[in-house]
Amino acid sequence: MTAYDLALQQLINGFSLGSMYALLALGFTLVYGILELINFSHFNVFMVGSFVAFYVLEGFGVVGQNTIMTGLPLVGVLLAALAVTMLVTGGIGVGIERLLLRPLRAVKGPAAMILTIGVSYVLFNIVILGAGADSKNFPNPLPPIVFTFENAVLRMREILIWVISLLLMGGLTYFVGYTKLGKAMRATAQDPEAARMMGIDVDRVIMMAFFLGSALAGAGGMIFGLYYNYTSFIIGFSAGLRAFTAAVLGGIGNVPGAMLGGLLIGLIEAYSGAFIATAWTDVIIFSLLVLVLVFRPNGLLGRMAPNKS
Amino acid sequence: MLTRRSTFKAAAGVAAAAALGAPHAAEAADKILKIGNDNSFTGADSQGAVRIANAVHMAFEEANAGKAVPGYKFVVENFDDATATAGQYDPAQGAINARKMVSDKLMVAAIGPSMSGVGKAMSPILSMGDLAIITPASTNPDITDPKFARQYRPKGKAIYFRTVTTDAYQGPNMANYMVDVLKVKSIYILDDSGAYGVGMADAFEAQAKKKGCNVLGRDRLDPKAADYSAALTKIKQLNPDALYYGGVGQAGTKLAKQAYDIIPKVIKAGGDGMVSADVLQGAGFPAVEGWYATQASPHIAGSHDPKVVEFTKRYHDKYNMYPDDYSITAYDAALAIIASAKRINAEGRPVTRSAIRDMLEKIEVPTLQGLVSFDANGDIKDHTVSVFQIQKDGNFELNDPAHQYVYKGVAPQS
Repeated sequence: MTAYDLALQQLINGFSLGSMYALLALGFTLVYGILELINFSHFNVFMVGSFVAFYVLEGFGVVGQNTIMTGLPLVGVLLAALAVTMLVTGGIGVGIERLLLRPLRAVKGPAAMILTIGVSYVLFNIVILGAGADSKNFPNPLPPIVFTFENAVLRMREILIWVISLLLMGGLTYFVGYTKLGKAMRATAQDPEAARMMGIDVDRVIMMAFFLGSALAGAGGMIFGLYYNYTSFIIGFSAGLRAFTAAVLGGIGNVPGAMLGGLLIGLIEAYSGAFIATAWTDVIIFSLLVLVLVFRPNGLLGRMAPNKS
Repeated sequence: MLTRRSTFKAAAGVAAAAALGAPHAAEAADKILKIGNDNSFTGADSQGAVRIANAVHMAFEEANAGKAVPGYKFVVENFDDATATAGQYDPAQGAINARKMVSDKLMVAAIGPSMSGVGKAMSPILSMGDLAIITPASTNPDITDPKFARQYRPKGKAIYFRTVTTDAYQGPNMANYMVDVLKVKSIYILDDSGAYGVGMADAFEAQAKKKGCNVLGRDRLDPKAADYSAALTKIKQLNPDALYYGGVGQAGTKLAKQAYDIIPKVIKAGGDGMVSADVLQGAGFPAVEGWYATQASPHIAGSHDPKVVEFTKRYHDKYNMYPDDYSITAYDAALAIIASAKRINAEGRPVTRSAIRDMLEKIEVPTLQGLVSFDANGDIKDHTVSVFQIQKDGNFELNDPAHQYVYKGVAPQS
């Protein structure tokens, strides 16, 4: 394997990692864009998503590494698992907003943010108590088809991750840009007061933001499981932190920014691990973040948050 | 002084004993000897912890039932040194547990921990409280090394006893095995940034170099990160004969999974951190197939020694799982404490913390792994390191370490 192969392989790895971070970063950005709230429960909504997918797949009889599926059944099972996972995590997101955050919306200061940290720990402990504290052998129903370029390897699971993430991100971009509710969302992000005066149901928009963000996190959780064939109650923290960094790097509140940030973090992680040392990855990621913020305080693509009047 | 909580626990203990059919009247008069049982019950190493704790509870229940120490009754209290936020062992939690143990006047000895990082945090506190602990699994040599005595046993006396040997033997002996038996000429080394993992990888690296093996590199994994493909792809490019990993299950599970995809043909090996039900279950077959791992003890589980066969049957009847080697070293640790208490009692002295600590230094105890005795630092005198390879055996549960790890022999000592 030459340095060229290594670079190519890390491009593949970095893109897969980056797509996952991007999906997760979108949830931070959607909520921040509208409420100016950093939603820390998002970390563990992602983790819950991977567990939901785990149980749905096991429910379909896909267990461990021994069940391989092909063709339509594979697509059907994956789509069903994806749909259930996104609905459940989206529901959790809506529940968190409706039951816990809405009563706090009038309260100024960090109360809401602290609450999301609390919710995060509650989710975390529910999973430990309900699913156990050990790591889970996440099912992998994908056929072991491998494409090789020189010495770099591209597997089915990477292609799957790219396809799912691209479709979801494309769908979100379309939704935010071209649908009525999406426009309402952008209007609310720009100025909630004015949006309300124009007859936009701001509560509904906020709920939608939580639903979409959490559903994407759920999809990210399922992808995580399929990619690593592993899940555990602990996965939310390091992935969540990187994704949050990605959102800030791209410009928090900015949808394309979150995608760009996610991909960049994924690529940096992959390349620094291969060409420097894994031990240095975090140092490099966070130093770059500091540098970007020093020179571009609003992130790469600029921050978008409600105008304060 | 009996606090309300300890009264409750003692009452619960008596109630449990009554439920098991133990005679009532005698229990009430017996003095309580509390044994702390510290292990990592939450997270990536929890299954191994349960297998160890089962053996500890079983040993003391048997001692109580057989009236091993007349006039006394053992009560085992569990302490969890892992935290949910760490997802695995947490030295800070170990320190808290050690303080709790030391401040409990009924506590006379302890068993645990499995993790050297925790051991390093607990040892100085236990030393100040004169409370002896016997570890059935933690192998980092620094804790008992007289060079670091001021740090880990400030009161001077040995406090941290072991029924396993240390990584001063485990790492280098495995390096010998890999070079001599597996004919490995080049190797890449990873660790999991924990006290045990780093120490193990260091000891291994030094001996591998001494044996003329070409060490192509060394990197450190973050146990909380999910993606090790960067490090593994780099290893693939360097194309070593073997990969050695010093560390425990949290990183080890993910490493085994991803290494199977990226470097399937490279020989992979680890220490006793890679011998556990957690690794078998979390990484699963086929990813774990072929991994080599060591235990810092002679291989006892599954031996045909009638004592061991009988023990295995009792254990399996009670818990419906098979004991692994560190269940046996844990059982042996309990036997050492029971034997010490028995001897002290027979000499007509009260069974106290310091009496047990002093006795452990000189006693020779017949156990499942043979006669166990400790040197002046608390280390076991036997230095055997056993080598295993994971080979799937479909006749048993796939997360059963006693049957999925095949014994390959004793690692050559240098």
